[in-house]
Formats: sequence, structure tokens, C-alpha cells
Amino acid sequence: MTLGVDQPWMLVLLPLVVLPWLRSPHRRTAVGSIAVVPADHLSAWLGHILRGAGALTIGLIVLALSSPYAGGRTVSRIGTGAQLVLLLDRSGSMNDTFAGRTPAGAEESKASATKRLLREFIGRRPHDLFGVAAFSTAPMLVLPLTDHQDAVLAAVNASDRRGLDFTNIARGLGMALSMFAADRPDEHHVILLVSDGGAVIDPHVQDQLRAAFARHRADLYFLFLRTAGSKGLFDTPAPGEDTPQAMPERFLHLYFQTLGIPYHAFQAESPQQVEEAIRQVDALERYPITYTERLPRHDLTGWAYALACLPTLVLLAAKLAEARITPQPQVLAVMSPRRRKAA
Amino acid sequence: MSPDVPDIHYRPRGAIASWRAGAHPSRQVGALGAFRDLVPFATYPDARRIDVRATALDPFETTMVRRFRQRAAIDVYALVDLSASLRYQGQAAKAALVRDLCVVLARSATRTGDRFGLIGCDAGMRQECFLPATARRAVSTDVAERLDPSRWAAAGMVKGGMQPGAEGLAQAAPYLAGARKMAFLISDFLLPMDLLRRVFEGLAMHDIVPVVVRDSTEEEELPDWGLLDLADLESARRRLVFMRPGLKRRWREAERARQAAIRQLAARYGRTPVTVIDRLDIDRFSRDLMEA
Repeated sequence: MTLGVDQPWMLVLLPLVVLPWLRSPHRRTAVGSIAVVPADHLSAWLGHILRGAGALTIGLIVLALSSPYAGGRTVSRIGTGAQLVLLLDRSGSMNDTFAGRTPAGAEESKASATKRLLREFIGRRPHDLFGVAAFSTAPMLVLPLTDHQDAVLAAVNASDRRGLDFTNIARGLGMALSMFAADRPDEHHVILLVSDGGAVIDPHVQDQLRAAFARHRADLYFLFLRTAGSKGLFDTPAPGEDTPQAMPERFLHLYFQTLGIPYHAFQAESPQQVEEAIRQVDALERYPITYTERLPRHDLTGWAYALACLPTLVLLAAKLAEARITPQPQVLAVMSPRRRKAA
Repeated sequence: MSPDVPDIHYRPRGAIASWRAGAHPSRQVGALGAFRDLVPFATYPDARRIDVRATALDPFETTMVRRFRQRAAIDVYALVDLSASLRYQGQAAKAALVRDLCVVLARSATRTGDRFGLIGCDAGMRQECFLPATARRAVSTDVAERLDPSRWAAAGMVKGGMQPGAEGLAQAAPYLAGARKMAFLISDFLLPMDLLRRVFEGLAMHDIVPVVVRDSTEEEELPDWGLLDLADLESARRRLVFMRPGLKRRWREAERARQAAIRQLAARYGRTPVTVIDRLDIDRFSRDLMEA
């Protein structure tokens, strides 16, 4: 259990706790000499208690003002599996079926099928660390690496919403890689790239990605959802068509192969094939992993105020118990205005 | 002070020795006053007081002269405690009570033919509150001005390195040197017994009249229950007191014991104290003075 405060500068006010020893909160009753008052232990004790209560009240209120909390520290945990980033294509075409049409009736879009199958996949791997990133024209960080399955499932659930514009795989990969630690050879990093289309990667971006993969040491699984009639990963080009612009998927596949990392490509043309691919990934990635996580904080401000209530009540009781040496109402004539007897 | 207020009637204890004629019995033999004795003309050659009848009756034909007890005047001094504890405000402001008492005393003294002087002391002698004995009738006005309640020392004030208190009362004796005088020692007597003893010893040759200025809120009208945050007017120290009937009883017992000790001490040096409580009743004061 760690304790901390959000606004430590408020603690500058803590020296105010000596105030009860410097000033008295009670109504002053002036007397000629307090030496005539007999010594009284009970009164002395009461004085100490009230001063203590005053100091405690001030201290607790200052503490409450500084927003104390408990917990919130980072812990190290060990899981089995891998650190797995799901990199999902959110381009508009993902909302079509494998046949390339808008889903109708019982048909399932590529995004929905992926979502359903990924949910099962996540459910089978309770100790994995999942992160979710999506990309279309720009990459989107959906969820950093975590072992909270609820959060991962929620992130995956949201992945079949209406898609956006285009497919920019390079920047998506860059973001996925940035979620891993660079200097941890004991961790096992996996990127599961789910996309239904290839994209041309600039040569200089290719070099940057290559360097990033070398630094973060991630396995790459490319799950290509092939729409009926489109080009595939493993198609042999017709003569004159062997250019990245004509066949981006093929060239992407070739580029990934040159990265020098464990790389598997799956080409799925139906939900069943997607399931099969995911099952293979599941079988391949089983490693021990350690990961760190921040525990949630517990706000103690309310407790501090509640505790401050108790001595405040004591002080209030003392204030209400204050007595006053009241002169009885009478004419404050200093002298009797009697006339002298006739001299 | 309005002229309607009666005078304070005081009588010095014992016969006084003074050349100045006045209102009080003295050891002085003179031509006026109550008849004392008959002496031969040679002893007291005052032709105005030759007693014809006694001369005629004397078998040796000696001329006899009547002698009288001269009535003399005495110097009356008010020795006033100007320490901060007299800033107490209960039923009345003690400082105002003291001022009024001194004004009436000054007027009564000068009207009786005596001289009045004022010595104010806190931690030391207060020169600005000092009036040497004078028979001037206007002295009461001077007294009223010199004993304005603002003259009393402030609480916890340390002036010129001196501690608060009434140590100056013990230094007043040289100002009362010479013939026997009447000295009204006006204070709340919330002073250390040791200091009081030294004050009384220093003034032992004079007729000391202790005047205790008290307030009923200091004893009788204390609350039965409750918290009192007491502040010492003298030292400005604070003390929290939880009043309850038991403590109130002990408090009043202690107060009574203190008063008894003061009475005992004063009686040893002459008179029992005269007490002024809450208000200045001149007639009662005069009566108490006669009984003291």
C-alpha cells in the first residue's frame, strides 16, 4: 500500500498545525491574575486535548486539500503467451462481405467475422497481453498493452463500426511496434495484422520499418482477408503487371519476407479460413512474458475530511461549552448621587 | 467629580506631631482646641490665656495659664498600584474606581486642611503620576488627570527591561520620609505576598490604610459550568479552565484564604483593609475607615 498526494504544494500549509499553541480560539476572559485560580488537572488535560484537536483538524484539512490517495503503483506480473498487438484495418472495405458486397440478411462482413473470431481467440488466451491498434488513412491507438480482457474485448467489439477511408499499413505497423518495449529480449512481441487490402509502402518508409522491426523484434502475422475477385498474396503476376502499383498485396508480402523476422502470411477467403489462421497463430505463440501495470488509486480525500470531522466536533463542543463571567445587570454608577446632609 | 459627593472622613491613628494647624488630634500644645492643663505663666508665657480664676485661687499667687491640645494637619498620600491587573473590567472598571476614590480623597483632604499627595507605581515609580503633598484645593483636578484609566500599564508590557508587576510600591517609601503620614495603599492586592510584606515594612512608620479594590465577578459571580479561557492582565498568559461546582468551591476557598492572609498581614502593620467592591460608596467607605 503506497500513499501519495496529488497536490504536494498544499502541504506547505502543514506548519499551521502549531496555531493552537500560538493563538487561542476561545473567548478571552481577562482576570487580574491567573495565579489565584487553583491548579486543576482536568482543566490542564482538557487544554492539551483541545490544542491537539485543533492541530489535528488543521492537519487533516490541509491533508485533504492536497488530495491524498492510496495505491496507484506499478506492479510487475508474469503471464504465459505473448505480447500481442492486434493491428486492425479500419478501411471502408472491411464492412463488406468476403464477396465484396454490402452485407445483407444473415451475411457477415469481414469486420464482423474478424471481430467474432478474434473474441474467441482472446477468450482462449487469458494470460496474454493484448494491445489494439487500428489504421486507415492514419493509425489509431485503441488500447495499450494490457491483460484486462474486458478492455481488450471492448476494443475488439468496437472494431466493426463503420470504416474510414484508405489503407495505410506502414503507419499502422509503426504504431503497433511503438507499443512494445525496445530493449526487452525476454518479452515476446507479436503483431497480428488483419487487413483486406495491400498498400504501397514508400522505399524510405520501408527502411524505417525495417529498422523498427529490428529494434522491437516482433513476429508478424499477416491475415489477409481476400475479397472475391481481388488479387491475392500468392498470385503469380501476369507479364507486365509485376509492379507494386498493380499488385500491392504481393509486393507487401515480398517486403515482409525481407524483414528478417518470423513472418507468416495467411490468406483467408471465408470466415472458416480466418478461423483456421487464427487457430494457427494461437498454437504458435506460447511464451512466458512479464509485464508491468499500474494499479488503480483509491482517493482518500473523503476519509481525510471525515477524520477531520471528529476533532472539529470536539472543538465545536468546547466552543459551545464556553462560559462567560457576566456582570449582573445593575446601575454602574460609581458613586451614590446622594446629596450631602445640609451642612 | 460632582460637589454633591460627600467627603471621606478619616482619622489618623494616634496623636500626630505637626506644627501645622488642622483637624486631627495631636501631641502639640497650643492656644486652641480642647483644654489640656494649667501651667505657670513662666512655663507657657501666653498672656492671652491667663486663667484669672486659677490665678486667684492659687495659694502661692502664681499666675496660671491654660494650655490646649492643638489640632494638627497631616499629610495624606495615595499610593496607587498602576499595574495592568487594575485594568480589570467587571461590574465596574477598577481603574475608574481607583481614580474616583483618589479624587474624592484629594478633595476631602484639602477641604479638611490636610495636604494630599499621589504616588503611582507599576514596575517602578511612575514620575508622571507623582504629586508631592500639597494643600492646593485644585489638587483633585490634577489627580483626576494623572489617574486617567489609560495611565495603567498595558497587559504583558515590558517597559525599559522591567517586568510587569507592582514592584514600584516597595520603592515608594523614600517619598514618604519625614513625619508620620497617612498612606492609602490602593491596589487589587493581586500581588505576591512577599512584595506586600516589603511594602508594609517600608511604610511601617506611617498610618497605612490598605484599600482593596475588588469586583464581585472575581468570586461570587463565577459560572458553575463551562470553559473559561482566562487571560492574565499582568503577564498576558492564557489558561483554560473547565469550571464546575467543585472547582468553583476551591477557587472561592483559595480567594477567601488569600483575603484572610492579606488581612492578617495588614493587621500586623496597623489597620485591617478597607474593601471597595463594584462601586464606590463614600459613606460606607468612611464608616469602614473608622472601623479599620
